[in-house]
Amino acid sequence: MEPSLVALDRNFSGAAGDFPELLRRRGLLAPGATANSKLQGGTPHQTSWQPTEATTILAFKFSGGVLVAGDRRATAGNTVVYDRADKVLEIDRHSIMAIAGVPATAWEMARVLEHSFQYFRRTQLQEMSVDGKVRALSKLLRDNFGFVMQGVGVVVPIFATYDSHPKPEARLYFYDAMGAQFEATDYAATGSGSPAVRGILYYENNWGAKRLQKLGEDEAVSIALRALDTAAESDTATGGVDRGGKIYPLIKIVSREGIVTFPESKIAAVFKETVA
Amino acid sequence: MIEEPYRWVEAIANRREYIEAQLASGSPIAALGYRDGILFLTLGQRRQKIFEIYDRIAMGAIGHPGDIERLRMAAIELASTEGFTRSAADVSLRRLVHYSLSPVMKSAFEQVYGAPYLARMLFGEVGKRPEEEYDGEITTTGATFAQARQDFAVLSGTQQSREQMESFLKADHAPDASFETALRSALDAWSIGHMTLQTSDAKELPERAAVTKYRQEHLANTQIEAGILERDASRAICYRPLSDTELRHLISD
Repeated sequence: MEPSLVALDRNFSGAAGDFPELLRRRGLLAPGATANSKLQGGTPHQTSWQPTEATTILAFKFSGGVLVAGDRRATAGNTVVYDRADKVLEIDRHSIMAIAGVPATAWEMARVLEHSFQYFRRTQLQEMSVDGKVRALSKLLRDNFGFVMQGVGVVVPIFATYDSHPKPEARLYFYDAMGAQFEATDYAATGSGSPAVRGILYYENNWGAKRLQKLGEDEAVSIALRALDTAAESDTATGGVDRGGKIYPLIKIVSREGIVTFPESKIAAVFKETVA
Repeated sequence: MIEEPYRWVEAIANRREYIEAQLASGSPIAALGYRDGILFLTLGQRRQKIFEIYDRIAMGAIGHPGDIERLRMAAIELASTEGFTRSAADVSLRRLVHYSLSPVMKSAFEQVYGAPYLARMLFGEVGKRPEEEYDGEITTTGATFAQARQDFAVLSGTQQSREQMESFLKADHAPDASFETALRSALDAWSIGHMTLQTSDAKELPERAAVTKYRQEHLANTQIEAGILERDASRAICYRPLSDTELRHLISD
């Protein structure tokens, strides 16, 4: 009986369709750092650890689904290393992961996540539930926490998706670096510029012309641009809108139909009309 | 047995016969290249027989469900890890079929003390352009019949059934067919293949009217199982399963 029970266990107890587990079995996933190796020494570096997710990401629900926006700047300390970084990443037809944090870790995480969802669907012949997807990202963050404690590799993402079952609705989640997930009712923001953005979104949602959920598409884009521009005003790590270089934030919209990247020409038009 | 070559050959021959007998009742699967991609189709309502393997690759299989499952998992694992470590563009059906699955099936077939895989599989890969398209088929013996830019490929329980389906499609199907036309050809090909499974000597293709009647009878009490690989450059994942209801209204009988 023993071997068949082992097979049963592998095939139906959370291990089935687990892509990170497959990668680990084949030695293709980088081993995680251990959180306690340095902690035991109690180095001053550990106690003065500062989160360094230098960017601004925001997401809020509006009448057409969820809008996710991110600036394009990538920094290393005080240096701007790249001004066309994509921090709003499509994971599958209905899911977006937007990242603040160390790009190397974040992009790898997005890649693992993307493959995890596909792998689950292909092997198990059913779509992973939204709760399953949210949890999968949470697990990746927790596995990465060793690196975070060593002062490298912190990632604080936002996850936006559209749930078609049982009740069709847009869902929005934000995380902390340890992997705790929080479902946002209206909006979420992450990154170094997020305090300013959170203030704006709170204000707009409560005392603006309309609640965020009632906004039309152009109005939503306009508020996203204004919020990012405000964040960039005081936060050097946020690119905002590069007026000279004509580099605009990346804006994606998740709805029942899937994901649409808001075209740059339309962003430019909204920007010219309502922000600049 | 190793010391006695004759007995080994005999064992292999017996095993081939055994496998053929086991697979003989397998319901046909047709894969047709049409204008915008590749259509996989079969009829039945018991077990799923058409599967997504990777972004541009799909599979149809007949045989023992347990064996199909093991091979399907192996194919998905190989494609997924390759696509993750390198890129989706590096996952090719040619490599998957020739260098990974085929040798495994062949050695399982030859290890006469172990059980062979009771499965016959048909793979299709959609390219960015029609010229890059590729179909492959593996049988239990590990033999691979593969051809680039094939207009159609079929799978069935018996050799005879397969040949009938092929000769029908050779005459009836054109690679630039619309989806609706390809769907009708695939249903007819399935009907011919299924009819042939029940007879022992089918020399000529059955009458058109007989095929239509047979198809209508079966459509009345079985489900259509189908999937397409769409040649759409803007989309990474090309496979899409098609539901029975989605297809019903396209068939005008």
